[in-house]
Amino acid sequence: MRSLLLLWSLAPLAWQLYTSLVTPEALVNGSGVAAGSFWTLENYRQVWLADPPIWRYLLNSAVVGGATTALTLTLAVPCAYGLQRQGGRLRWAVTLALLATAIFPTVLLFLALLQLARALGLANNLLALSLPYAALCLPLAVLLLRAAFAELPAELEDAARLEGLNLPRRLRHVLLPLLAPSLASTAILVFLFSWNEYPIALTWISRPELLTLPPAIARIAGSSLFTVPYGAFAAATVLGSLPLLLIVLIFQRSIVSGLTQGAIKG
Amino acid sequence: MSPSLLNSLLMLPALVLLAIVFAWPLLDSAWLSSQASSVLTGLSPIANDGANWQRLLGDARFWQDAAVTLRFAAVSVGLELLLGLAMALVLHRPGRGRGWLRALALLPWALPTTVLALGWRWIYNDPYGPLNAILRAFGAPPYGFLTTPATTWLFTVLADVWKTTPFVALLLLAGLQSIPAELEENLVLEGARPGQILRRLTLPLLKPWISLAVLFRLAQALGVFDLVQVLTRGGPAGSTESLALYAYLNAMRFLDFGYSATVVIATFLLLVLLTAIGWLLLVRRPLEASR
Repeated sequence: MRSLLLLWSLAPLAWQLYTSLVTPEALVNGSGVAAGSFWTLENYRQVWLADPPIWRYLLNSAVVGGATTALTLTLAVPCAYGLQRQGGRLRWAVTLALLATAIFPTVLLFLALLQLARALGLANNLLALSLPYAALCLPLAVLLLRAAFAELPAELEDAARLEGLNLPRRLRHVLLPLLAPSLASTAILVFLFSWNEYPIALTWISRPELLTLPPAIARIAGSSLFTVPYGAFAAATVLGSLPLLLIVLIFQRSIVSGLTQGAIKG
Repeated sequence: MSPSLLNSLLMLPALVLLAIVFAWPLLDSAWLSSQASSVLTGLSPIANDGANWQRLLGDARFWQDAAVTLRFAAVSVGLELLLGLAMALVLHRPGRGRGWLRALALLPWALPTTVLALGWRWIYNDPYGPLNAILRAFGAPPYGFLTTPATTWLFTVLADVWKTTPFVALLLLAGLQSIPAELEENLVLEGARPGQILRRLTLPLLKPWISLAVLFRLAQALGVFDLVQVLTRGGPAGSTESLALYAYLNAMRFLDFGYSATVVIATFLLLVLLTAIGWLLLVRRPLEASR
């Protein structure tokens, strides 16, 4: 069962890796190609030296991802704290709104957000892109962090309050250090979302050197439907996936526990 | 300062940003759907007495896209649920290297949809892709996976199922972890077979997570965009064009913002209707039955 699952999940990815490492002749003719002209790094050289080069897109995506993660956590932590302390109708209404926005397909917002970007001069600005991204991540982030706050014993904060610590200090020195695992898994999920977001990046960014990875990849894909340089594509795919592969493998425990804990306690 | 006021102030910045990015666009698109705003009007809005909505009602392309989107959502969410359950059961079983297994199984979900859609385009390639190589090995003629209007939608479903099943599995895994192990041990002691345990214990207790997964995936699938835009661009012959893609094309290609907004709002209404039905069927009724 396990090997079947791994085959299902990894075979399409392995095929990309293979495609990126062989010559076009090898792709078309299979093993009928002379051994010397089978494997190649030419595809990687091509995307690395393209104009703009692939690392530029990776860098752009990393900048947006970092800014989005920082902004989301800055807004989500106080909101989650307030929501956890709040009772009654307001808590119910805010939770319902967060759930509704969490499942909302964000592509339906692109038209109005595009107009907003034009009106406020936010188009073609990587840092501005993190504003809608943070908003789109907030529902999930607040729900996960609220569940984490609910886990902390109330006596802990009461004791800190008796010590005379005000709210920012209580958060900074007492509560947030204990929430570090939840903060980490929330941050990773936000970063993943930001790295993968497509429709808003597609409509907000038009300058080639500012594209994030998803629209950059789609743009190359759109250049021609039939004569597509699949080797170079596969190389771009592998390079674009590598950072996420590392994140998922390094942080798999916090990703899985973050989502599962959030779902259980939420 | 009263605690309630303090809590509200703490929540305020996040809620304001949410209102700007979620509520305002919906209101703005609703308003824009009552306006003519295209190249013909110089892109400035002019009220047109519901002409957009009249056009929508008679727009065969809109209704076909609605049917395509519904079919896509129904089939892919159904398959994701079945496969996700199987995957969650495998990921839940104790054993060495379970953490690695979970990470690797999760990988398709974590990677960008556009990147994976491009990968699938190559896998489906006619005649050089690996699927056609397999067909060739069996002596079958090459198949146009992305060029046969009658069946291409099935292959968009397959790519979507591959990408999002891990997410469904993760949600269901959370549910499995919340079931006390003693309950299953008791049934095993009573001599229950695995299939009986699944039916009598696991599925009933998993119900809230199944409902959550269905609602979430249904809403996302009804807004499918990235996948079809890169994999098929709505083709062949419009057979895989989703509502979101149609809304996008109206704005960005035909430069008709008023009609694009109309398609957006119509899709939103369809989404609300279907998730509300899902909510009533999945969440409300079991709650009342359990009373």
